[in-house]
Amino acid sequence: MPDSQTIESATTALATRTPQPDTKTRRYDRQLRLWAASGQAALESARVLVISGSATSTSILKNLVLPGIGHFTILDHERVSPADAGNNFFLEGQSSVGKFRAEEAVRLLRELNDGVEGKADTRIIEQVLDNDPAFITSFSLVIAHNLNENTVARIAKLLWEDETYPSFVVVRSSGFLAEFSIQFHEHTVIESHSETAPTLRIDKPFPALLEYANSLDFTNMDPTEHSHIPYVVILVRVLEDWKKSHNGAAPKTYEEKKEFKKTITAMKVKVDEENFDEAEAQAYRCWTESSVPSEIAALFQDPKAFSAASSSSSTSPFFALLAALRAFTVQHDPPQVLPLSATLPDMKSNTVNYVHLQTLYKKRAEEEKAQFKKYLALSGGAGIDDALIDSFVKNAHALKLLRGRQWTSVHSSAETLGNSMAMNSKHVSTHLALASLSSLQAKQADTKVTTEALTAEAATLLPSGLELPEEWDEAAGEIARSPNADLPNMAALLGGLVAQEVIKMITKQYVPINGYCVVDLIEMWTGVVG
Amino acid sequence: MLINEAGARNLRDSAPRRPGFLSSERILSILTGLPLRIESTRRCRRCWWPENWRTLDCAMTVPLKELSKAYVRIAIELVADGDVAEALTQLFLQSTMATSSTQQSGQDWDGRYYHVDQILDVPGPRTDPSFSPGDTVKDFLRNQCKILVIGAGGLGCEILANLALSGFKDIHVIDMDTIDISNLNRQFLFRPKDVGKPKAIVAAEFIMNRVPGVKVSPYYGKIQDKDDDYYLQFNLIICGLDSVEARRWINATLVNLVDPENPESLKPLIDGGTEGFKGQARVILPTITSCYECSLDMLNKPTAFPICTIANTPRLPEHCIEWASVLEWPRVHGDKKMDTDDPEHITWLYEQAAARATNFKIEGVTWSLTQGVVKNIIPAIASTNAIIAASCCNEAFKIATSSAAYLNNYFMLIGTDGVYSYTFEHEKRDDCPVCGGEALDLTINSELLVEQLIELLVEKQDIQIKKPSLSSGSTHIYFQAPPQLEEATRPNLGKKVSELVSSGGEITVTSTSLPFSLSLRITYS
Ligand SMILES: [Zn+2]
Repeated sequence: MPDSQTIESATTALATRTPQPDTKTRRYDRQLRLWAASGQAALESARVLVISGSATSTSILKNLVLPGIGHFTILDHERVSPADAGNNFFLEGQSSVGKFRAEEAVRLLRELNDGVEGKADTRIIEQVLDNDPAFITSFSLVIAHNLNENTVARIAKLLWEDETYPSFVVVRSSGFLAEFSIQFHEHTVIESHSETAPTLRIDKPFPALLEYANSLDFTNMDPTEHSHIPYVVILVRVLEDWKKSHNGAAPKTYEEKKEFKKTITAMKVKVDEENFDEAEAQAYRCWTESSVPSEIAALFQDPKAFSAASSSSSTSPFFALLAALRAFTVQHDPPQVLPLSATLPDMKSNTVNYVHLQTLYKKRAEEEKAQFKKYLALSGGAGIDDALIDSFVKNAHALKLLRGRQWTSVHSSAETLGNSMAMNSKHVSTHLALASLSSLQAKQADTKVTTEALTAEAATLLPSGLELPEEWDEAAGEIARSPNADLPNMAALLGGLVAQEVIKMITKQYVPINGYCVVDLIEMWTGVVG
Repeated sequence: MLINEAGARNLRDSAPRRPGFLSSERILSILTGLPLRIESTRRCRRCWWPENWRTLDCAMTVPLKELSKAYVRIAIELVADGDVAEALTQLFLQSTMATSSTQQSGQDWDGRYYHVDQILDVPGPRTDPSFSPGDTVKDFLRNQCKILVIGAGGLGCEILANLALSGFKDIHVIDMDTIDISNLNRQFLFRPKDVGKPKAIVAAEFIMNRVPGVKVSPYYGKIQDKDDDYYLQFNLIICGLDSVEARRWINATLVNLVDPENPESLKPLIDGGTEGFKGQARVILPTITSCYECSLDMLNKPTAFPICTIANTPRLPEHCIEWASVLEWPRVHGDKKMDTDDPEHITWLYEQAAARATNFKIEGVTWSLTQGVVKNIIPAIASTNAIIAASCCNEAFKIATSSAAYLNNYFMLIGTDGVYSYTFEHEKRDDCPVCGGEALDLTINSELLVEQLIELLVEKQDIQIKKPSLSSGSTHIYFQAPPQLEEATRPNLGKKVSELVSSGGEITVTSTSLPFSLSLRITYS
């Protein structure tokens, strides 16, 4: 029960604070709920280069300027054509015609957000590649839309030269079909915002939890108290009692599991005890072993995690943390579990019991984190700040490590391509058709695009051993229909898809694609090749 | 400043809607040369004209592009004479004349539709044979097709821009909201100076200024204000709403509108929705495909905390916040209405919730969480809205032009882990209360009381009817209104359903918020 002392001190503390958010926080409220201040800070320090001021390019930028990217540059030497004025929202109709596309688009995009810096660069990309490649590598991320394939290859090669160079997003679209991919060496994610919750370790209860569960006298308990014991505690206790009569083993067979659940139901003193209903529904937790998820175990095999463990210098924090995590799972008691999560889901209970349980979890989580930190000091992570360690431990069950590959027009692995074809040949058809178009147009910009020409081109692009997929004619025919169309709806859709990926890359939150994302607006689907 | 009646009539009578119009407020701004903000609580829902100035018809707007300095000068001279109405009349008439002459002569410059025309000039391998490429389809899209956009918010802004660029020229938009600062991270037709103004009007004005030759007619108000005839005038309707209630209303209205004798009465409804990195778009052909009501059970269940948890056993910060808003606000403030848009009110709730949390040793009450819980805030970003709005507009374009098959009938996107999407046909429900025709079977305990049945109807995922009224044949079981009927039927609340309805009997459920009734066939377990 609250005493007056606490109320008074609490209110005084509140009165001195000014909790209302400032203008900037209010403006960004709806996105801060997705990526928090840390994600916002990352966005605000990012610098993005977009090559060409096409409708698709400005759509992508719109979705980056609105959430407050730090800086963008549009590199485009072309002047606004009547066609541009018709399909690009960031041009002002006929009055923009004849002006530099980059300058017009930058002017109108900047109106969206005072906090964003935007620049127009009207140099020719090939000349920048020749004379000023450092300009391109100075950004945090580079995006190209419908560029000549040879130019794309040159940029891709330049940006692949060094791991610290910017990621490169390559977008191509033609009428109702499109695709994009991201070139990166490696991308690590701590805050993946996974919807999978970490284990509560009911099957391997820590001493304080077990002690609490064992201390309860269910049979002589006050009925109100009885209906407010959290299901976690009920399960720990029932499992413990079960193990005593089953040679220390948890329920295994279907019959045993049924009997286990019956035991729970039989403990009810009233029909409507929801905490026992919850315990029965959550009983599977007793026979689902808390262990290191296989995806995380696979990360431990990464060479960088090994080198972090052996050398204490110049490893990225992620790999130092990963090496420490591996050491923890090997040496901790019990072994083969990740550090305990302090997050407890809501459950039927009263305040006192719930808060008590929460305190037990928090305390234990702190202890395990302290142990984790000891291993971290040994794997070169002594200088890592506490906020990052907290976040890493909290998300240990859902860490992501993506390894990329250098951009090629068609996926460079025949095996992956073959597998994708077997899974969904429509996706591969679209991927190939767009690559064939780029390839044709790179040879001769004003070439007549026909299904036949695309088919002949595809044959030269396809790795040996693979044949054109069944739906090839549908994809190629659609490209031949409208080879140079940058449709407003496709531009807008790509603007959204690509911006989502860029935001994920920059904030290092959520998980970006690794492969070619293909889009078909006729049947309205997206897919990933690779 | 009194408005001359003749002038007003003149304006009203000759007030067609033309491209590039200015709102009345902007005209006055130009006339007086002052940045004008009219501080008035009540405004006309269509034109944002202050209500006490309402002798002027609100359709009075003038084209921006044609506002030559000459007209403004004339107008200012007249204003100096004190005759505002005359000034406005002059301005209006002159500019309309100017519009009608320029409008005919080539808003569509050569090459304007270079991109879209590649699709409209030839069929693709998957195009239906009924597609008639070339001038016919272009003429329909650009000169005849009339489309309605419901919502001018996150999706609405994007939808309007896409439609305008795709070649739709007669666009109508309805929205009852005004612009808030938190909209600016995604609703890209609005600027900080627009905060407080109606979304529909600002959005329409922006599109007309940016995309020449497109007419956007705004309505600042509720969709429920409009009758069947209004909805019948459109070829297509796109919905970008965040309200389940409004969607159910328009869905049921469009299903009811279908007259089997008249194919024109079937209005395709394209619906989009987003939450964070996720979203969905769907095509509804009323009475033919699954409708919005058919899929009600797919919605995420709204988080409702039991009142006893809030009152007695809080565990989460959310419980403390709900306590502050549901129990503490009415206790302390009595009848004073809580305004969740008022930061002072949120601060008060936050302080109460934080104090309660401290007493119960619960962590995590923040101002932002308080605001999120009481306003039921859904995270929203420009990029997801762009994806979903583009999907919706692409379907509208395909339906209007037959240039490609349209979506059958549901597209779902999840962008949190890679790009995952799922396209599928959502099945029509035979027992859908809106489009199904068959009664919904409901098996209940024979001990269940009428008031418990009502609670069930509110909560059950595929029903969700707020404040339902119940009757069976000629028996009134319970009516929420009018008060006399409510009082007369109130004693039934405590009775068992089985006392009033025999097994296999039907109960008709109605609610004032929904334009349809639900038939339940009751059996007892
Ligand atoms: Zn239905």
